[in-house]
Amino acid sequence: MKYKARIGIYRHLGQLHRNLGRNEMIHKLIYGMKLLLGRDTPGRNLTVREDDVFISSYPKSGNTWTRFLVANLIHPQEAVTFLNIDHIVPDPDLRSRNFLKNCPRPRVMKSHHPFDPRYKRVICIVRDPRDVALSQYHFQIKRGLIKTGHPMEEFVQRFVAGETNEYGSWGQNVGSWLIARHHTPGFLLLRYEDLKERPEEGLAQIAGLLGLEVDGGQLARAVELSSADRMRKLEKLQAGKWASTRETRKDLAFVRSAVAGEWKSGLPHDAVAQIERAWGHIMRVLGYETVTTATTAHGEGNPIPLALMEIPLNDVRT
Amino acid sequence: MMYGLKVVLRHLLGTDIADRNLAVYPDDTFIVSYPRSGNTWTRFLIANLVFPSEKVTFANIERLVPDSAALSNRVLKRIPRPRIIKSHQYFDPRYHRVLYIVRDPRDLVLSYYNFQRKYRQIADDYPLTDYVDDFAGGRLISADWGTWGENVASWIYTRQNQNRFLLVRYEDMKSNTVQQLRRMAAFLGLEPTTERLTQVIEASSSQRMREMERTESEHWVATKGHRKDIPFVGAAMSGRWQSDLPGPLVSKIESTWGNLMTTLGYPLMASEPSQPYSILR
Repeated sequence: MKYKARIGIYRHLGQLHRNLGRNEMIHKLIYGMKLLLGRDTPGRNLTVREDDVFISSYPKSGNTWTRFLVANLIHPQEAVTFLNIDHIVPDPDLRSRNFLKNCPRPRVMKSHHPFDPRYKRVICIVRDPRDVALSQYHFQIKRGLIKTGHPMEEFVQRFVAGETNEYGSWGQNVGSWLIARHHTPGFLLLRYEDLKERPEEGLAQIAGLLGLEVDGGQLARAVELSSADRMRKLEKLQAGKWASTRETRKDLAFVRSAVAGEWKSGLPHDAVAQIERAWGHIMRVLGYETVTTATTAHGEGNPIPLALMEIPLNDVRT
Repeated sequence: MMYGLKVVLRHLLGTDIADRNLAVYPDDTFIVSYPRSGNTWTRFLIANLVFPSEKVTFANIERLVPDSAALSNRVLKRIPRPRIIKSHQYFDPRYHRVLYIVRDPRDLVLSYYNFQRKYRQIADDYPLTDYVDDFAGGRLISADWGTWGENVASWIYTRQNQNRFLLVRYEDMKSNTVQQLRRMAAFLGLEPTTERLTQVIEASSSQRMREMERTESEHWVATKGHRKDIPFVGAAMSGRWQSDLPGPLVSKIESTWGNLMTTLGYPLMASEPSQPYSILR
């Protein structure tokens, strides 16, 4: 390195040190080392390849279950558990860049991100937002983010505003994928509820997207090995070792009810109305019947015809 | 093992371009659009409106309304808050206040074609037919921000019900600048007089911007060191496609995004969108 450039860097580093204070500087250096060694987690800086497949969903929409289904299908040599799932269907927000680089292609990965144009092959799992709200509520208690008995209405208010996680609101996250990719090649939309009812059918569609030729026996095996019962048993044994549950309360389960429609008994009427007021239009096109009379509020000053909001999704329901 | 010392150094020094990794503050306002949709013009209008004491030029625009796709997080951190930032990003849930500019894709593609020739991203004699094909198929550099349809739809569909989102059509800005600028001002919490609006519009006119480009292009990060025979400030017209874009290429674009174009109020040359069941192809 030329002497002048070196001085420049030292001066920059010195200035940086003064600006940031010691801790941030050390943090930056550690991250720099990680970058150099490929140990950083790329997250949205992932180098996406053309043949990558993403299992994409809003958090608590059945992503982990779908990961198990897919992993058991593409990795029949050993049964999938919480200890190997992060290797077979990795999450770019959790795994290192080196690991991801060396994954056999085509890689199948997990994602909660809203629409990303670089993702060319996407398995998009959607779930009734009223059940998603309930599930997220319980998961946040498990993670210690809110206390047992936290008022549901307050939680749902933040849920609707998209403040309960960093992936946008349910409507923004799901809506961004639907509007950009629905009815395009490489995009498979599956409802959690349909997957519950007819898992083998949904998994066969996934196999189609992955370009796999599978028979009924293989599908049945993958479904069996990914049942809620089996996942609960595995969780009991492995919760202390899995990255997503390691630091959460052990008296509450990660694999919870795993049923559709729990909101009917578990969600207060006001909370249901809040959700339907925010996203009634998307819910209806996805075939989630609304029960309150609330209609979607339209903002001021943006006279976009309703046509754009009512994207026809009729094939979802058949 | 080596990711590249360059990347590590850039990280340590904080000199990597922000773009999708921009550190967003909750009080930021974004001027978002697909490339070549009037974003730079809007930046000039807003900068002239918000900073009446400055003479806005290409030499200081990056300090007033900075470009997140051209500057580093380190530089952007020093911009006084609340910041007004230019961006081409597709939907990002962290952007709280968004002014989105949309332009007829049939005009946009002609403008982008010239732009990419200026930056030598395509050969001068690259056939326009292939280019429109690449544009519709998402094979241009801009596809990092999604295709035109993906970018536009991802914002409008997620945000249009909200008060922190303002949609402005480039064509309306051209035909009634005062009216549209007043909307933008209201969005920013300003109530300028008509006289003031007229001053701002005058100071940001395409003629004035062309003059400034001639004298200042070496002082602006976006044009510095690039060829001068094709200007950055293009025709600044709407509806040029009607004379300059051959029929089959118009059809190509309309069959790709016809539904979205109709929704946005861009009448199609073809009587029917070719794919009635999807907004985007």
